[in-house]
Amino acid sequence: MKKIIALLLAVTLTAALFVGCSGSNQASSGSNSNAAAGDWSYIADKGELVIGITYFEPMNYKDDKGELTGFETEFAQAVCEKLGVKAKFQKIDWDSKEVELNAKTIDCIWNGMTITDERKENMGISTAYMENKQVMVTKKANADKYTKADALKGATVVAEKKSAGEEVAKGDEFFKQATYLGVDSQAKALLEVKSGTADIAIIDYVMSIGTLSDGSDYADLGVVDEKSFSPEQYGIAIRKNDKETLKKINDAIDAVANDGTLKKIAEKYDLEDLLLVGNK
Amino acid sequence: MEEFLSVTGQLFTGFGENCFIFAITLLAALPLGLVVSLGSMSKFKPLKWLTKTFVWIIRGTPLMLQLFVVFYIPPLASQGGFAFDRMQAALIAFIINYAAYFSEIYRGGIESIPKGQYEAGYVLGMKRSQIFFNVVLLQVIKRITAPIGNEIITLVKDTSLASVIAIPEILMNAKDFSMVGLIWPLFYSALFFLAFCGILTLLFSFIEKKLDFYKG
Repeated sequence: MKKIIALLLAVTLTAALFVGCSGSNQASSGSNSNAAAGDWSYIADKGELVIGITYFEPMNYKDDKGELTGFETEFAQAVCEKLGVKAKFQKIDWDSKEVELNAKTIDCIWNGMTITDERKENMGISTAYMENKQVMVTKKANADKYTKADALKGATVVAEKKSAGEEVAKGDEFFKQATYLGVDSQAKALLEVKSGTADIAIIDYVMSIGTLSDGSDYADLGVVDEKSFSPEQYGIAIRKNDKETLKKINDAIDAVANDGTLKKIAEKYDLEDLLLVGNK
Repeated sequence: MEEFLSVTGQLFTGFGENCFIFAITLLAALPLGLVVSLGSMSKFKPLKWLTKTFVWIIRGTPLMLQLFVVFYIPPLASQGGFAFDRMQAALIAFIINYAAYFSEIYRGGIESIPKGQYEAGYVLGMKRSQIFFNVVLLQVIKRITAPIGNEIITLVKDTSLASVIAIPEILMNAKDFSMVGLIWPLFYSALFFLAFCGILTLLFSFIEKKLDFYKG
């Protein structure tokens, strides 16, 4: 009896191992052909577009009542209305966004995502709808000091790894004399400056609007107004090679931009100067 | 003050997720660990080596990676056809991981019981299963209370790893506050873990005291 149970257990475990192996094989061969022609019908059949977001004021964040709101939230809802599907927001870990997209646990990334060549190669990217730039954030007391490159001698500059801010810190002549340190998020970069372990953080202008307001813990930090770097553009990412969904989303963006909806939303969050689509 | 209450409320909501993962993982992994430990002590060689390989793989890879594997591999392999929901995936990964660790603690406990006790049982005419459940297991439980308690306290803190597959647990909620310019919630969240582990520590010293009468 005991032998039989042992044998059964052994067989089940072996089977489990095999299933595990074959599963991972498929995964590696499958990821290339992901998102074939039928992707839009997949989304339309579900009746909802699952939108990958992180909380990031003023793009997507919880208001005082705990409701999700923000520029991107309302923009996405308006676009989904044109598309005839429901907008479903799924919070994700930003580092795993490409995996989430390929695993179809989300259908698009829509969260103030900067368009880069690397991302264009790996994902389908929509029309650029908004402009952004990199700004320097430092203690308010030092804000006048860091306007000339010479003043940066010996200063420590932080930015999020792999971000546009890092490119600026490493590539721009202005920062040549400063020491650079990469951290894992823009919020961490601010924390470094706040706690005095670094002198300057390079972050998104859009992010600085939300985090540096009066009453936040960062109220003693300020943007160095005289200098801004590398203008960049925001876009929506979908699965690669999915031309149909891309066209539908682009058409819907044009539609909400041209009928003035987008401008109204942008004005609500004080972002209208940054819009790239629609008549200003 | 209002801000403090709203932050506390949100952190509590997040900590609910941690407590849920903690409770379900314990309920499932404690018995499963015993099954695995019996497998790794089996006299039937193939079963023994399979179980040992299983324990090696689970203990030899980061829990963070296991969470990714359970959540992302099924939908990647099936082109989005099948996926666990986030909480299911987290529970599966935690249960398997902790069952592997518990199994080794059980094994250590079981193997520490002198052979003479089995022999005495046989002399009295007991069956092997009777000896195991009526004589050995109770002593094992007493001997492993401390190491199991250690592992359980580790589990409390490990639950925040679930944030890598975007489960809105307490640390993720606390980090979100830094995106709106509040730093202190991140450090404040430590109190939740400290309080929970404090209660567990008291509970375990109580259990150890209760089990003291077994001292031979």
